[in-house]
Amino acid sequence: MIRVQGLYKEFADPRTGVFRALDNVSFEVKPGEIYGLLGPNGAGKTTCLRILSTVLRPTRGLAEVDGINVVENPEGVRGRIGFMSCNTGIYDRMTAREMVEYYGRLYAIPEDKLQLRIDEIFDILQMHDIRDRLGGKMSTGMKQKVSIARTIVHDPPVIIFDEPTSGLDVLVARAVLKAVAALRDQGKCIIFSTHIMREVEKLCDRIAVIHCGKILAEGTLPELAERYQQSDVEELFFDLVQRREDEVAEERRHAGSEVQP
Amino acid sequence: MSWKNVRLIFMREVRDQLRDRRTLFMITVLPVLLYPMLGLGVVQMMLTFSEQQRVVVILNAEDLPEAPTLLDDNGIDPDWYDNGQEDASRLRILAARAGEDHAANGSEVPSMPSELAPSEEADSAGHAPGAESRSAEKRPPRRGDKTDAELLAAAHNLAEQITTIQSLKASSTAAEDQSSDEVTREQKRHALQNLVSERFGESGFHVLVVVPKGYGAAMKSMQNQIKARSEGAETGDTQIVSVPPITIVRNSADEKSSVAFDQVQAALANWEDAIRRRSFEIASLPVELEHPARLKYVEVAGEEQVAATVWSKLFPALLVIMALTGAFYPAVDLGAGEKERGTMETLLISPARRVELVLGKFLTIMLFSVATAVLNLFSMGLTGQQMVSGIGRGLADTVSLEFPGFGPLMWMVILLLPLSALFSSLCLALATFARSTKEGQYYLTPLLMVVMGLTMFCVSPAVEMTPLYSVIPVVNVTLLLKGLLLNAPGSGNLVVYAVPVLISSIGYSILSLWWAIELYNSEDVLFREAEKFDLRLWFRQMLRTKDAVPAFPEAVFCFIMILMLQFVAMKYMATDLNAPDPGSSMMRLIVVQQLAMIACPAVFMGLLLTTSLRATFRLRMPSLPAMAIGVGLAVIAHPLSMELSRFLVEYQVFPDLPESARQVMALMKTEDRPTWLLLLVFAVTPAICEELAFRGFILSGLARGGRLAIAVGISSVMFGIIHMIPQQAFNAALLGLVLGLLAIYSRSLCPAMAFHFCNNALAMFYSTEASQFNTDGVFFSRHPDGQLSYEAPLLVLCGIVGILLIIHMIKVVSTEQDLKRRGLILAYGESRTPAYNDDSP
Repeated sequence: MIRVQGLYKEFADPRTGVFRALDNVSFEVKPGEIYGLLGPNGAGKTTCLRILSTVLRPTRGLAEVDGINVVENPEGVRGRIGFMSCNTGIYDRMTAREMVEYYGRLYAIPEDKLQLRIDEIFDILQMHDIRDRLGGKMSTGMKQKVSIARTIVHDPPVIIFDEPTSGLDVLVARAVLKAVAALRDQGKCIIFSTHIMREVEKLCDRIAVIHCGKILAEGTLPELAERYQQSDVEELFFDLVQRREDEVAEERRHAGSEVQP
Repeated sequence: MSWKNVRLIFMREVRDQLRDRRTLFMITVLPVLLYPMLGLGVVQMMLTFSEQQRVVVILNAEDLPEAPTLLDDNGIDPDWYDNGQEDASRLRILAARAGEDHAANGSEVPSMPSELAPSEEADSAGHAPGAESRSAEKRPPRRGDKTDAELLAAAHNLAEQITTIQSLKASSTAAEDQSSDEVTREQKRHALQNLVSERFGESGFHVLVVVPKGYGAAMKSMQNQIKARSEGAETGDTQIVSVPPITIVRNSADEKSSVAFDQVQAALANWEDAIRRRSFEIASLPVELEHPARLKYVEVAGEEQVAATVWSKLFPALLVIMALTGAFYPAVDLGAGEKERGTMETLLISPARRVELVLGKFLTIMLFSVATAVLNLFSMGLTGQQMVSGIGRGLADTVSLEFPGFGPLMWMVILLLPLSALFSSLCLALATFARSTKEGQYYLTPLLMVVMGLTMFCVSPAVEMTPLYSVIPVVNVTLLLKGLLLNAPGSGNLVVYAVPVLISSIGYSILSLWWAIELYNSEDVLFREAEKFDLRLWFRQMLRTKDAVPAFPEAVFCFIMILMLQFVAMKYMATDLNAPDPGSSMMRLIVVQQLAMIACPAVFMGLLLTTSLRATFRLRMPSLPAMAIGVGLAVIAHPLSMELSRFLVEYQVFPDLPESARQVMALMKTEDRPTWLLLLVFAVTPAICEELAFRGFILSGLARGGRLAIAVGISSVMFGIIHMIPQQAFNAALLGLVLGLLAIYSRSLCPAMAFHFCNNALAMFYSTEASQFNTDGVFFSRHPDGQLSYEAPLLVLCGIVGILLIIHMIKVVSTEQDLKRRGLILAYGESRTPAYNDDSP
């Protein structure tokens, strides 16, 4: 469903000239699976997911969703994914129902089907009490519900969650995670980024640890525990990140000595 | 592109804006309420505010003739004023009838110059008791007003000093040879003049009228003399007694003084007319003699047209400003606001295409822009009419503020659409570029300044529609609207301009829409992070992180620098034209200008900001075919560009050449200069300098992003702009396109230089040598003015060959681009490409 191969993304940086946010990233995600992208802030998770959602273009490499290339047919890709992140806000001056309706229409869902679908989603997410409330007057939890509804209104086969629980209280976060798990059970292909270990342990079928734009390790949790002889996910994560940071520092020193003869 | 999505986005944005109380207030409530309230305020002010009276002092009023009487008990007789009682109530007349003690100070016309300038302390308070106030006492004097006594004292003092000045002036003209004496006298006079003007300011009155001593008596004797003559009595003297002049003192720099002066002057003129008529009567001459050359003025402008001139100034300016502000605020909300509220990414991941997003937003902004403009104008027009009919009865007689008719109103709506479209797309692009709403608001001021400047230019009466103006944004719409609202004779022809105005306006809108779409497509603008800006760090970074070729902003900066240098140098270029040998100094200046103001900035910036001069300035050996194309294209382009500029001049698309340009042209024709020198000045130097700057540094920088077509386009526009004179600028911009393509195609500057050299050299020979050229009538013939004319067959031939060559070059460049995009050739102009790193000097 999702295929990423040798993905590079570079940004112009006023300080260092070029900043490489993704460095040869490759992975695949199958339907009915939650793939966890685990990494600290600035690791490249958001960049990677933004490329998958076609908002950013890769510098090099291949990214496919449902067999469609993100560069060649971005509109096609956008029609097949649901994307939710802490950056995808909702409109302040629109009610919950209007918001979901608007996106449903942008996805060109036939009007009668759309109304049924919205009712269904509002049932599942228990949103009927906020259907006519303006976005600006909602609590964070309500907004998150609207966001989820917006993400799944067109019933996409692939759903991308970029740190969907960041900034949420425990109750709302729990509800979001439950919704994600339910979607997996429907056979969706889900990619889920986070920096919280608990969520990974609870939810993800397979994970990739990413730091400084590189995937450091990939596999199911038991696999990783076995490979690195570390049963504690948190310890495993810190080990990997530390190792990568040492590597980067070494590279920099190396590069620096080259410049100064 | 699906219009359904555009409509969906449009509907959502409109609803969103309408739900925003601020927008709704700004766009609908404010204009609807503001103008009536402003109008009401003005009415209130006019009712409560009564103009401050201006004070006029008349000295020696007793010397005025008895008939016709200028003064009545309250001052100047209201009958003398143009506006009767109204004027009289605005002036406070203080007429002083001198007592015995005034006779000594009496302002008898030129008395002997007093050697001592009156000291500042000279106090004449003693005169006050003799004065008799005849002011129009309609209200009690206010606190701070000077008493009559003070005023009169100051008046007497001033009158004396003015007499002194005049006598000094008179004596200095009389005795001009006494130079040393004159200097001191002149100094004294000057000092006195300053003193008088200072005193006048402090005096508390605004106009001083000094009636000379014995004025009435002189007038009487003159009239007697006339009477005697007309009765046939031989009096013997041919000279009629001359009446000494009444002195009227004012300070035209002071507004109150000049307003009062105008009223007094009008009254005195009417009074003088009466005296003249009386004199005619006495002399038994027909009264018609008063206006011997009888003139009659006929006004053909109807009331509607008088009103039209008011609207023709007001409406276009307001329309422009309102359309801009109406577009701006929604645009900031829809662009930067969406980024700020975090809904931009949500929108970007929807399946809608970027074009659909931009169009939906653009239409929303345009709707609000049009609505704002229409509502404002409507509300203002109604308020204006209401006010005029309600209170301004006096005003309504002179200026009728009838609303323009249906025709002009329709034109306003038609022209408002392209104007709004332009502003909407421009604002949307700017708002998309901005990181935050705050940054977005910053862009309003410069935009408003530019637009206001253009509008002010159009409103001035001398500016009329020309073919050139009809394609300049904002100016074209404003001028056309002004012309149509003026409804002046011959304005029917203006409708012809509607076509270019509409087409060019739509063209500009499409361009800026395209810019907005580009911005939506470019990820770094959408995800630009606000960074702390540190000038020093930035500068250090710029010097440290050099690349083989300059960056885009560096190229733009280079152009601005060249432009600025030219602007600064303009003064020197102009003054030196008056040198004894303008020809050679002109040529020297051209060379200096080329080297110092065009080549130097580019080369200097190249040295400072890039690592590879070779890559920046394309210093590579060109291939032989490329050189041939360069030279060949120049030869082909020459007849085309010559005939095109002749055509443009004939149809007056551009204004005539300014004098300085004519001189340069004339210089090229002068025979006595060696050809090599002319070639050096007019062909070699520009070819090298301008190419280094425009096809070298600037084009390399602009093309760095890989958008070659845009880079060539922008660089050619820049190339056109520095040629200043519209005609040349147009030609240069066209040639700049070819030059840019040539440089990119050949990857070398040499073919472009060859083209430039040949082009300039041919143009030179065209004006000097071509008159001896044999014409065959098929390809070449002669213009009536003796210039060589290129005939249609030759032009068609040149056109076809030229187009083929250009197509060939574009093909080569685009295949290269294509390969590069697929990664088969390393990116052009990037620092890490080995091709450039190994050839840095």
